Amino acid sequence: MMNNSIAMQTRRKARLRPQAIPAKVAVWTVMILFAIFSVIPMLWLVLAPSKTQRQLQQEFPLSFGSFQGYVDSWNNLMVFQDGRIVDWIINSIWYSAVQVSVASIVALLAGYALAATRIPLRRTLLITTLVAMIVPQVAFVLPLFVEITALGLYNTAWAIILPGTFFPFGVFLSYIYFTTTIPSELYDAAKIDGAGDWATFFRVAMPLSWGLVGMLAFFSFQVNWINFFLPYVVVTSGEVLTLPVGLGILFSSTPALSPQVGANVLPIRAPEIALAGMMIAIPILVVFVASARVLVRGVLAGSVKS
Amino acid sequence: MRLKAKTAARINGILMFLPYFVLLVMFAVIPIIMAFNVSIGPSRLSPGGGVGNYLFVLNDFRFLSALANVGLFLAIYLPAMLIVVAGLSLLLDTISSKYTVPLRLAYLVPAGITGSVAILVWYFMLEPSYSPFAPLLAEFGLTEGTDIFNTSNLIYIFALMAFFTGAGNWIVIQYGSLQSIPDEVLEAARVDGANAFQLAFQIKLPMIRKYLIYMLILVFAAGLQIFVEPFLISSSVYPGLAKDWSLNQLSYTLAFTGSNLGAATALSMMLMLVMVGLALIVIYRTDFFDEAVVKTEKERA
Repeated sequence: MMNNSIAMQTRRKARLRPQAIPAKVAVWTVMILFAIFSVIPMLWLVLAPSKTQRQLQQEFPLSFGSFQGYVDSWNNLMVFQDGRIVDWIINSIWYSAVQVSVASIVALLAGYALAATRIPLRRTLLITTLVAMIVPQVAFVLPLFVEITALGLYNTAWAIILPGTFFPFGVFLSYIYFTTTIPSELYDAAKIDGAGDWATFFRVAMPLSWGLVGMLAFFSFQVNWINFFLPYVVVTSGEVLTLPVGLGILFSSTPALSPQVGANVLPIRAPEIALAGMMIAIPILVVFVASARVLVRGVLAGSVKS
Repeated sequence: MRLKAKTAARINGILMFLPYFVLLVMFAVIPIIMAFNVSIGPSRLSPGGGVGNYLFVLNDFRFLSALANVGLFLAIYLPAMLIVVAGLSLLLDTISSKYTVPLRLAYLVPAGITGSVAILVWYFMLEPSYSPFAPLLAEFGLTEGTDIFNTSNLIYIFALMAFFTGAGNWIVIQYGSLQSIPDEVLEAARVDGANAFQLAFQIKLPMIRKYLIYMLILVFAAGLQIFVEPFLISSSVYPGLAKDWSLNQLSYTLAFTGSNLGAATALSMMLMLVMVGLALIVIYRTDFFDEAVVKTEKERA
């Protein structure tokens, strides 16, 4: 109590010190400038499809065109291979939906098994999971290509979907959650009451874990939705591809970024390609902003006491 | 009876872990084994197999330049991440958390701009005829797209893209770990007369050191694997500009345009070895995961 009031006094003094004011101004300036720099690229991306190519190059870069602009850009985008963009959107959505659900369920079960059952070799399995979690996904692309070709899955949707269900980070996150957030006495109590492992999992652990489910869905969506390298390597047919790879195809086969390509044939220029990019970026942005708090707890799982 | 229950608990544990274990074997273990076999198998350039493919990659003239590119890229990207992330999260931590909400949301925005979208957006951000930053670019004498998109600037362009994609969410994460420093520690330092600088550098920074190291290792691992940005720039926007610029691009070229899968897998096995080494360092040489692993040990005992 005593300490607290002294601390408050010193803090108040610090606030009143005149030389502290320029420091405060400097701090805020740096922070606000960084915020502005962070927001401008996204703002541009969201505004660009509302304008025409001419407006984009001549008007103020962050001005708004018209809502009709979005419609026009969409219609132009639909010209590309008779509406291929729709395939990409649908694929991206259903691939991610399968990946997020399977990855989350599998991770929940495995994390619970490590945390609350008598699974043998627990330490080995945990270390293996940690290694798999730290090695970036990209490192697995070529080995996966070799396997997928051998399995005959090349150029199928499964070649993209299945590897995305492997989610070691999710297993670790679940393990941490089930060992720290839920007190182990709760599992013991359920077992004394005669509940088996499965009943404990479904009736005790799961109802307390919706926050965890949210975290798992967030992190697995985030990696799968934007994945480029693996889908690019294991699929060649346009109708099987996803939005991020489709965007790459738009780069190389439309005049949007490379005016030398088919400039007179396709109406796909900067506003159209920005619309395609916006459709990839906005879902990611929404999940990030919606789960800012979850993000911190998730990434530092196991080392920050909650 | 008790023994029976224990066995049941074991079996249930195994059953619950099984789906993940199948995926682990299918999409991590088997691919690595298969790729390893390809890499030591006979190929066009190394009919005898063995380490031939590895030697081929190491002697390829493109390997050293790709390694140098990625090395220089990391030499710019990593310190920039460390300084800005540590700096801004410390600055955020000096003001009351309710005022930081809009700032933190703003910092998360660039996380949506990643992969192929990053190429798209940064192309327009750096192309003076479109860019909202055009006046700023002009200050540096950059008025034409070709002033910016040329070979000597590639390292900076990719570092800029990678930096903006990741810096914001790491700032929010590190700010989160700063917020978890107990108030008593900070109050005690203040009572002892520590000023804001001393507080930041002598108390807060050492306390989030391990999170910063963890970040650097993850960022290093991801940076070493850079592929999408140079690949897309070079395959579409400015054809050939960043051809075989990164190690993974070289591996891609070897596999898909040089039809030398042996050498490609050899290169990717070498990168994998570095990655697993890094992972083991994080696990055994830092205390980042100690709590998690120690806990299991205790439970087993």
